[in-house]
Amino acid sequence: MQGSSGIGYGLKYQGRCISDVRADTDHTSFITGTLSLREENEVHLIRLSSSGTELICEGLFSHPNEIWDLASCPFDQRIFSTVFSTGESYGAAIWQIPELYGQLNSPQLERVASLDAHVGKINCVLWCPSGRHDKLISIDDENIFLWTLDCSKKAAQSKQSSGLLHYLSGGAWDPHDINAVATTCESSVQFWDLRTMKKTNTIERAHIRNANYDMKKNHILVTAEDESGIHIWDLRKPKSPVRELPGHTHWTWAVTCNPEYDGLILSAGTDSTVNLWMAPTSAEDEATSESIAESATQQADPLLNSYSDYEDSVYGLAWSNREPWIFASLSYDGRVVVESVKPFLSRK
Amino acid sequence: MVEREKTRTDDVPLDDKAKRMRDLLSSFYNPDHSSAPKPPSDYENLDAINSTSFDPDHYMNVLVQKSNLEGLLRRHVEMAAEIKNLDTDLQMLVYENYNKFISATDAIKWMKSNIVGMQADMEQLLDKIMSVQSRSDGVNTSLFEKREHIEKLHRTRNLLRKVQFIYDLPARLSKCIKSEAYADAVKFYIGAMPIFKAYGDSSFQDCKGASEEAIVTVVKNLQAKLFSDSESIQARAEAAVLLKQLDFPVHSLQAKLLEKLEQSLGDLQLKTVRIENILRESNDPSKQGKPFESIPSTGHEVSVHGFAEAIRAYRVIFPDSESQLIKLAQNLVIKHFEMIKQCVKRRISSANFLGALRTIWTDVLLMDEVLSEASLADFSLEAGQVTVKKYVASTFTYLLQDISDALLKVKVSPKEEAEEHALKLALEASKKAVLQGSMDLLLDFRQLLDDDLGLLVKLREFIVDWVQKGFQDFFRALDDRFLLLSGRKNPSSQDQGLSEGAPGEKVLVGIVLVLAQLSVFFEQTTIPRISEEIAASFSGDGARGYENEHAFASGEIRQIFRSAAEKLLHHYINMRTQRVSTLLRKRFTTPNWVKHKEPREVHMFVDLFVQELRAVQSEVKQILPVGLMRKHHRSDSNGSTNSSRSNALLDDRMTQKGRSQLLETHLAKLFKQKVEIFTKVESTQESVETTIVKLCLKSLQEFVRLKTFNRSGFQQIQLDVQFLRTILREIIEVEDAIDFLLDEVIVAASERCFDPVPLEPPILDKLVQVKLARSKEQSK
Repeated sequence: MQGSSGIGYGLKYQGRCISDVRADTDHTSFITGTLSLREENEVHLIRLSSSGTELICEGLFSHPNEIWDLASCPFDQRIFSTVFSTGESYGAAIWQIPELYGQLNSPQLERVASLDAHVGKINCVLWCPSGRHDKLISIDDENIFLWTLDCSKKAAQSKQSSGLLHYLSGGAWDPHDINAVATTCESSVQFWDLRTMKKTNTIERAHIRNANYDMKKNHILVTAEDESGIHIWDLRKPKSPVRELPGHTHWTWAVTCNPEYDGLILSAGTDSTVNLWMAPTSAEDEATSESIAESATQQADPLLNSYSDYEDSVYGLAWSNREPWIFASLSYDGRVVVESVKPFLSRK
Repeated sequence: MVEREKTRTDDVPLDDKAKRMRDLLSSFYNPDHSSAPKPPSDYENLDAINSTSFDPDHYMNVLVQKSNLEGLLRRHVEMAAEIKNLDTDLQMLVYENYNKFISATDAIKWMKSNIVGMQADMEQLLDKIMSVQSRSDGVNTSLFEKREHIEKLHRTRNLLRKVQFIYDLPARLSKCIKSEAYADAVKFYIGAMPIFKAYGDSSFQDCKGASEEAIVTVVKNLQAKLFSDSESIQARAEAAVLLKQLDFPVHSLQAKLLEKLEQSLGDLQLKTVRIENILRESNDPSKQGKPFESIPSTGHEVSVHGFAEAIRAYRVIFPDSESQLIKLAQNLVIKHFEMIKQCVKRRISSANFLGALRTIWTDVLLMDEVLSEASLADFSLEAGQVTVKKYVASTFTYLLQDISDALLKVKVSPKEEAEEHALKLALEASKKAVLQGSMDLLLDFRQLLDDDLGLLVKLREFIVDWVQKGFQDFFRALDDRFLLLSGRKNPSSQDQGLSEGAPGEKVLVGIVLVLAQLSVFFEQTTIPRISEEIAASFSGDGARGYENEHAFASGEIRQIFRSAAEKLLHHYINMRTQRVSTLLRKRFTTPNWVKHKEPREVHMFVDLFVQELRAVQSEVKQILPVGLMRKHHRSDSNGSTNSSRSNALLDDRMTQKGRSQLLETHLAKLFKQKVEIFTKVESTQESVETTIVKLCLKSLQEFVRLKTFNRSGFQQIQLDVQFLRTILREIIEVEDAIDFLLDEVIVAASERCFDPVPLEPPILDKLVQVKLARSKEQSK
């Protein structure tokens, strides 16, 4: 089976989130955190060995609370953000990995800043995707906050969105437009202009769990929906999706577009599988005969592979930016699996 | 010389001699002739003694060289004999010649003596001839005067007769008119015409006037005759010819007559309209039994006959008018077919359709007889092709409509009391509609095929094609329709259904299941049967049916429906789970689980969940077959041990707190047989039910994982799950995976709990019992 090709790494406790360390240009590394209500939680910095056959724990840091969301800073590999919960209340913070952690036994993370403006449940923290920008967004149930991070002062200033937004559940920052953010909520996907903090557009759709922008192509958004399906949208035509993929047997929890290869999409589901899809949306843009023929064959079965070697629901999913054919997945039982999709790319 | 030898060997020396003589003679009279007797073959050219080029020295040389002494001697002897022979021949010839000279001299002498007496006789004869001539001249002069006189008298008489004729003409014409001998009248009149032209203005003015008057009446009468239908065609044709002879403007007449024909065509169409009306009336089922032709076609036939006759007459009368007639006839055919097309739009039975076609075809044949140049048969074949094709297509459309009607009926009448069996009824009705409908359809088409109507016979291959293609398209369309009905292609209705949860939507969910099962039915029963039927009756005479691309590909269609059935079943399960999912979402988002109060009773959502399940069950029971595999499967796997083990695990995990907890979970999972939660769904009651339950429980687990509980919250979940476990056993066959999932829910809750202390078993039992009793009471 394909599952055997993956490289495994075990966390001590359960976990939900994993992130690619994008700023690390020398190694393919991921950062992940545990989710344990009653134990002492940890943040793991994992590096894929240069041979690509082993996962090495590069750093192990204790984290005060269970981690619900974790994102690595795109321009500084030592900085990352977490959303955590004490069980009763939520918090979000920016952390810096101490410089001398190799010498310390159980090094403490330095808290760069706390994003302390939230009241309700915080859902996620987003880093500006376009590289060296010290902007952050945090989303809670009702509000969007735009932060400007000043690392030297170890402080963050916030700008709050106006209006009552009900039951936001997550979001995605448009990599093509620094002022555009999409948020998911109970009955729609909403699009925001960060300059005015106003809503610009919506897609009415029930229970979207996760959304992700196509890194390569403008206007393309991929969503994971409650009806155990994946939809690909062209934002210029928000009435109906461009494509529909069957998704997972149970919920489709997360979707993520490959940063390099067009139309390559990963989805993780609560049916303990990760599916690799090839769903190009290029039919209208590049009307070459080749792409048409290709899309025709892809139409037959967009599912390239289904990685099913998981014991529990998979919540964490991240492509590597450095080696875009590699992705890391994290199942609830705390198992990190790094896989390469190369065999499926060459087949194309 | 060979001949010579031959004379010796053969016994026909006389013949040989005669031949020789002849040869010699001929050589004598035309010595240059090359066709002298051929030289003997054994001495080649040189031996050709008789030829002019014969070289005796050379011959001798060759002979001497080639022959031995003996041969030469023999040759010598032979030659000597030959020479002797030749000498005698020559002698004989000379003799004969001489003889002939003598007889010729005799003949000349005799002639000379005979001619001498003839001169006197000749002179006598001349005298006699001279006297005869003088006498005849005398007679001639004496008779000349009398003859002159007689000739003059004769001329005068002729003139007088003509004048008499002219004077009598008016009277004669009127007589002719009376006796209707128009032909004579016209003849007379035309005969008199030159005279009238010459002298009409002077001596015969009155006569001319009178006879012209008469002729006017003749013309009138002729016209009347031409237009009167009662007259025989022959008479009418004659009248036309006569009119033409009278220099009457026939073209205007032709135009008029054509108008009349057109008018009669209009009448005919009016009549046909009536026929179509009758046809439509006879369409209602009570009268359908009657054979179609007997009702309306008699009258129609007569009028068409009349029309055909008129055309025939017209053609005879005006032989150069074909193109107009052709146009007219084609017009008629077109009108006919248009009428049928109208009818086809209104859905008619094949018998009626056939009848109408037959009427047209007989008309066409009639017309064709009269007007073969119009090639009406071909023309109507084309038109008929279009019509029949349309008919086939429309029949399929109606079938499709029938089926969706049968399905939609349920949707329209969601009455509570009918609910119990509504889906089953819908399923049965649509099954019947499809099977019966398509069989009827085939029967109808079969009728079309079997009919020996010329039109249809020619179209047979096309019909076979159309029927096959029709079925192909029909099933594709049906597949599309199904998807549409199920709302998969119509996202707006889906959303609506989700958010509202109206009763109408509930029936719609059932419909999806009906559609799924219907697809299975199609795939397994209807399509094989239809393809069988088609193979039996629709490919035999259409030999090319198998090769062409329109052929009914049952395999492909079955594949379509197989996947459609799967899709629809999944869709049904999806829709059902979705409803539970919204239920669960509400349950888990509203309360503050961290500050949950102690559990007093099982939460309401379990009831709602069970209610949903029962709804599913009632739908599933109506539609899907019972799966036999399930029980077998269950006894196969060691389910009981499995669940007990995970229970033990659960207890362990709850009591033991510490770092080893997760490790143990991993270990336990390693040893535990991995339970396949999501197996392939089969189209059976049990499979669908358990799949839905499994999906819902998995959702429950996921919702639990997203929350954090205090002790009471955890206990509440524990209680709810415990009750659910009990009640599920009552409702459905509980397989291992479900037990496993129920355990997992509790595990998840314990993991997400600050203080996972479970309820004491007695309390748990008591609360469950209370709830059970209450729910039983309610159900009563």
